[in-house]
Amino acid sequence: MKRRRFLRWGLFGAGTLAVAGMGLQLWPTTRRHRPSPGRALAVLDEREFAILAAAAARIVTAPSADPVAIAERVDDSLAMQPLEAQADFKKLLGTLESALVGLMLDGRPHPFTHLSPDDQDAALFAFRDSRILLRRTGYQALRKLCVAAHYSDEKSWADVGYPGPPEFILPKDYQVPQ
Amino acid sequence: MSNGGFIDAQTLEGELTADVCVIGSGAGGAVTAQVLAAAGLEVIVVEEGGHRTRPDFKMREDVAFQQLYEDGGARATKDAAIAILQGRSVGGSTVVNWTTCFRTPETVLDHWKANHGSTISLAELMPHYLAVEERLSIAAWPLEESNANNRLLYEGCKAIGVEVAPTRRNVKRCMKSGYCGMGCPVDAKQSMIVTYLPDAVAKGARVVYGLRVDRLDEEAGKIVRARGTAMGGANRYSPTGKLLTIRAKHFVLSAGAINSPGILLRSGIAGAVGRRTFIHPVVGVAGLFKDPVEPYYGPPQSIAAHGLAHRTDGIGLFLEAAPLHPMMASLASSGQGADHLATMRTLPHLTAHIALVIDGFSAEEPGGTVTLRGSGAPVLDYPIGPRVVEGFRTAMKTLARLDLAAGAQSVRTGHDPSITVRSEADLAKLDALSYEPGRIAIFSAHLMGGCALGSDPATSVVRPEDLRHHSVENLHVIDGSVFPTSLGVNPQLSIYGLAHRTATRLASAWKA
Repeated sequence: MKRRRFLRWGLFGAGTLAVAGMGLQLWPTTRRHRPSPGRALAVLDEREFAILAAAAARIVTAPSADPVAIAERVDDSLAMQPLEAQADFKKLLGTLESALVGLMLDGRPHPFTHLSPDDQDAALFAFRDSRILLRRTGYQALRKLCVAAHYSDEKSWADVGYPGPPEFILPKDYQVPQ
Repeated sequence: MSNGGFIDAQTLEGELTADVCVIGSGAGGAVTAQVLAAAGLEVIVVEEGGHRTRPDFKMREDVAFQQLYEDGGARATKDAAIAILQGRSVGGSTVVNWTTCFRTPETVLDHWKANHGSTISLAELMPHYLAVEERLSIAAWPLEESNANNRLLYEGCKAIGVEVAPTRRNVKRCMKSGYCGMGCPVDAKQSMIVTYLPDAVAKGARVVYGLRVDRLDEEAGKIVRARGTAMGGANRYSPTGKLLTIRAKHFVLSAGAINSPGILLRSGIAGAVGRRTFIHPVVGVAGLFKDPVEPYYGPPQSIAAHGLAHRTDGIGLFLEAAPLHPMMASLASSGQGADHLATMRTLPHLTAHIALVIDGFSAEEPGGTVTLRGSGAPVLDYPIGPRVVEGFRTAMKTLARLDLAAGAQSVRTGHDPSITVRSEADLAKLDALSYEPGRIAIFSAHLMGGCALGSDPATSVVRPEDLRHHSVENLHVIDGSVFPTSLGVNPQLSIYGLAHRTATRLASAWKA
């Protein structure tokens, strides 16, 4: 019984993914909701970048956090992942943005980037708490990429009381190995 | 560019030849290369990642993970539920591991004999352990030199009656920086880049880095050549289109438990390849202490508790500490927005204590499976079975209890949303937690199996006596992928010892 329900959700999920693109056509991510990258992107397109930056703004709220910088660093990090993982992540951003998927699964008939901050949080939590495996793991992938992008950046250190790496005096007889 | 015997694949052309081609430069490949080169064989070691050494090690997570880890630190299982930490540079995971050294437990070797047709005994391995332990300065780390994160683990285990002890570490003049996982900033860690690889190069071996092996070509039951692509870009993630070929009499695959099966599968060598992958799945808790812990400084791992390794009422566990620098802390902390930030702000006062599940010893645990993605990249699928889930539950309770006993004000699980335990009375909250994929942070840094040693070609890939492929006569696999189960201990010394024993045998056979 459990397995059948999972399969049904899985098929439903796949169907919603298929129409996600159409949903975006109907409710385009407008320029107003489009933070732009400060440089050329390796993996994401500008629309995906805007969705990611909007999500990053909710996920990382440290005083030092800059959602555009986080999204740029996530793009760097995606470039080191297998092509299939890159494609999955792009699809995830499309699904998060889609008003149609939002409407069908969460009763949220607006693109993610058009929502108020509180509604964006609710949309993200709907992914986190979903019964659909792909939404849960997708949310965690998004969350982890955003927090890692920010907290690997030196500028986050003061916010969390991390003093940074220590200074070393190398031993006198130290030699660089050849 | 050539730096001694370390050669950038982008500077090479066409075809290279050698007696032995070793694919992978980590724990298995480096030791194998040194032993064979010292015996007078001409050796080429191939590494996909770059060649990074002490001046590159900046003690910054953004630099280190991109330079030194697979997928820039973002490797994961197929369903993205388990994060995988694996090295990807000359020296492999030995450059980034946390220096914990254990010999393979005799109970594990006995289990392999009884269940997997292994012939390997502790007595046979002992001279090789002794040789490696001397070369790598492996020695007991004094309890009083442990950092607070490890000391609190020790005290907590003592308080709740779980057997615990200081570990041995492969360090020389360790300055206790805490940055083992980002490449040792003072070359105190005796990783392969300061030991067996330079030793091999001194004996004439060449280490070609930035070369991804795409496939092995087999003709009439023998490998005739390895074909690869030179990788470019700062961190060697961009195929350059330059193709290189290596011809050799013997091929040794030492690319680790995900990439070794990947190369075999890409080469059309299947059988039991990629099956029975075990990973010591890890869950952890963060303890909040009144006094500063500074989990980012000091030897990251110097205490281990094996008191639950032989549980009779469920799967075995062992407990260790993990270092927390800001990025690692951010990944270990669940939640988003203000919730996540609140945890992050307590970083200087946090401990990170982890439980590693000892998988692969029951017929009910098939382990994971490595397959190829459409692009040819290998990927691990690891379903979390009921025995592992029970292990996680027991682990969470044990870790929370020991942290409370050590004086934690509260203990937070890696679930999302997270559960906070403030007293023994709260422990019952942990019983109801879900361990479905995507509901809790799970990770692994111990990748084992996938090219198991054994006597039966239907269930194993290489034979125990010399780790030779069952049917391809000049192909050997020497790395963590040959273990038929997990180990119940951190794997580096098990790999060094088995590699040293096997390469010593091969050297005398191949010189004859």
